[in-house]
Amino acid sequence: MKDKPVKIRTKTANVQVEKVSANVFEEHNGQSLEVGRSKAGGALSSTAGPKMLNSKPKKGLRKLFWPALFTFVAGAAAYESYLFIDSLFAFNTVLGVAATAVAGLAVISGGAGLIKGWLSRRKLRSRKEKQQAFGLLIEENTYGEGQQLIDEVNTEIGQYLDLSGPLSTYRGQKQQVHNDRELIQLYSQTVLEGLDSMALEAITKHATESAVMVALSPLAAADMALVAWRSSKMLQEVSRIYGCPQTTLGRIGLTKQVMTNMMLAGASDMLADAGTELLGKGLAATVSTKVAQGIGVGLLIARMGIQTMKLCRPVEFTDDNRPKLSYIRKSLYNRLTTLLKKSEPSKGATITKGEQDDRD
Amino acid sequence: MSEKSSLSRLVHKAEQLIERGIDKRVRIAVTGLSGAGKTAFITSFMNQLLHIADNDQLPFLRAAKEGRVLASKVSSYDELHIPEFKYRQSLDSIIGSTPSWPASTTGISQAQLNVRYIIKNEWLQKLQKQSHLTIDIIDYPGEWLLDLPLLRLSYKEWSVQCLQLLEQSHVAEDSDWREQSTKVIYQQPLADESIAELSLQYKDFIKEHFIQQQTYNLLQPGRFILPGELQGAPVLDFFPVLDIDILNSDWSALAEDSLIKTLEKRFNYYKQQIVQPFFKEYFEKVDRQILLVDCLEVLNGGYQNFRDMQFTLVELLKSFHYGQSNWLKRMFNPSIDKLLIAATKADHVPPEQHRALEGFLQNMLQEAKNDIQYEGIELETMAISAIKVTEAVIAEHQGQKLMCVKGIELDSGEEVINYPGRIQPQALSRDAWREHQYDFINFAIPTNLTNGILPHIRMDKVMQFLIGDKFR
Repeated sequence: MKDKPVKIRTKTANVQVEKVSANVFEEHNGQSLEVGRSKAGGALSSTAGPKMLNSKPKKGLRKLFWPALFTFVAGAAAYESYLFIDSLFAFNTVLGVAATAVAGLAVISGGAGLIKGWLSRRKLRSRKEKQQAFGLLIEENTYGEGQQLIDEVNTEIGQYLDLSGPLSTYRGQKQQVHNDRELIQLYSQTVLEGLDSMALEAITKHATESAVMVALSPLAAADMALVAWRSSKMLQEVSRIYGCPQTTLGRIGLTKQVMTNMMLAGASDMLADAGTELLGKGLAATVSTKVAQGIGVGLLIARMGIQTMKLCRPVEFTDDNRPKLSYIRKSLYNRLTTLLKKSEPSKGATITKGEQDDRD
Repeated sequence: MSEKSSLSRLVHKAEQLIERGIDKRVRIAVTGLSGAGKTAFITSFMNQLLHIADNDQLPFLRAAKEGRVLASKVSSYDELHIPEFKYRQSLDSIIGSTPSWPASTTGISQAQLNVRYIIKNEWLQKLQKQSHLTIDIIDYPGEWLLDLPLLRLSYKEWSVQCLQLLEQSHVAEDSDWREQSTKVIYQQPLADESIAELSLQYKDFIKEHFIQQQTYNLLQPGRFILPGELQGAPVLDFFPVLDIDILNSDWSALAEDSLIKTLEKRFNYYKQQIVQPFFKEYFEKVDRQILLVDCLEVLNGGYQNFRDMQFTLVELLKSFHYGQSNWLKRMFNPSIDKLLIAATKADHVPPEQHRALEGFLQNMLQEAKNDIQYEGIELETMAISAIKVTEAVIAEHQGQKLMCVKGIELDSGEEVINYPGRIQPQALSRDAWREHQYDFINFAIPTNLTNGILPHIRMDKVMQFLIGDKFR
């Protein structure tokens, strides 16, 4: 029988003993993992409810529209450029060579950009898979499988940040008896929470900057460009902090996801923030429409930033460490109102200051 | 000058008032049968808290992780008639030159800790930056806990229960007490000396039963085993009636001085004058409870042992007063709002099996758990070790890699690598129990423990659960 208890006296018997470390767990725990998985499948779990068979309705011919159009336009453009270059060659060889070189460069750099974007999108996808994997480990509370995943995340983040400080804290507090749930929690609170505050700082910086810019910019049309520019910069920075940096092309994918998430999560966020936001609007309205617009834009960017954090963080947020919009909002108001007070020490600004104090 | 000083006195008074308003007090009942590790737990709990400033081994105590817990000290408590918990003494026995587990408790004792922390709540922080939390911990012999279920029983019901338990457990029937008890005539009066003699035989009988079976279910009343200050008092001279005919008959017509009435009177006196005041005083004010269970002893013992322990613990949990405590209700009728059921000695189990150990414990207490959760109590189960004395290793045995624990065996004093068998987290039938063999051994405390912080398993999670929410 396999599971008989064994007692070995180290004095009398010569036994090979290994210290328990991350590597040993893997081979050792292979079978127990499978047992756990299969058991979880049989047990009543959250997946037991009914499910939609095909999440997306079939699109048929409509699905072909964009690829077909794209191929057609690209083909036409290639044909046209070929004709163009050909005609240039007929006119002058040097001119033709130069045009070919320029076109070639465009194609190569464009291709490289595409590949890079594709890679960064893949990184984002793998991040999502990691989130799910961590979630599964937390739910099943297994033993000895989390460390490998944590190491992977570490190397990813380590490419862009120096993690030696928090990692040594993590290693110091980690015990060999900790199961995966505890290990992941520990990692989340020693290492990732540091990243969270860094990301929040970056978001606050960008949000206030754009709020101030919008408040000061004279042109309404410039606001839109400003928002697009600052928000894309912010997405880049935040995603970099979490070790899955997004390039220009990849950011489109991220932006799309962030936007979808914001639409989905927006309702609940709004409910939670409604109280304070109403207060905020009252304040903003008293200042001026322009500043109000600035605050609105700042809040939008802050919200985008927080959604980006949610997408990029390897371990999902819990109730304890969920980033709060109120934190950013506060510094946003402070920055804007002090700016206003400095620029025009008039009656309106002093009122704002007073209200600000009341709110605190 | 005098105006100024009276003003400052006023300010000081206001500050005191605010401090008292913000201050918090939490009373923790450490419950568990004898041998579950209550004394070791309290010692470790106090040890961790007293070293809080330089203790980086509490990552899951959120307030400590945030650096908000500043320091703590042992303080004197209001209930001056209760002896103090001998923290120094039991710590010395753990870290001494010949380390030994702290001695089992023979009487009640109490400890009070004062923890100073930085307030997190924005609003409260405006009033005051720091506050302190007072933690009361009570230690008492586990045997006395067995009296709790008695409170719900009459003498007749208790006798019936004893009879049933005796029939179930197939103990040797030929004890002195059982023989003698059939001879007496319950309807007639009996001399006090004879009652005392019979009751002494009964005490011997349940002690022997305990030694033979290692189960607690018959160990009632608890003071029979550990009388404390009641040694020799007539209130402890009674025993159950096991005659089925007498149990089925009507007792109301019996004379006041008949044996049965005397026994009933003593039982009721014991219940009302000994047990009730004891629990009223020490447990009614409790707001957090931790129940320590030694699952390893149960696993070693097999199915009958498991069933007995299950019965005892479920009965015990029924007797506590649970209920959500909002502040208004608390003022008049305080009750426990958080219960932690912990499997102790988790360091004796290979870490990969901790989850199974938790599962086993949950399974054992399923019935009581359901009732308690219905009351809206926050309930959690954990596998913990107050003082960690082993190390997890992987040893190769007959071509198989097994995760074991390495430590010094208590009985032999030799270093041992132990694979205790695989714990089954799901409920098992009597037959299935037979297929699993367990050999959990007791480990001694190694000599390499320093004067500082005791090594532990999940004590930080225990603290977070029991007192974490108070550091607001």
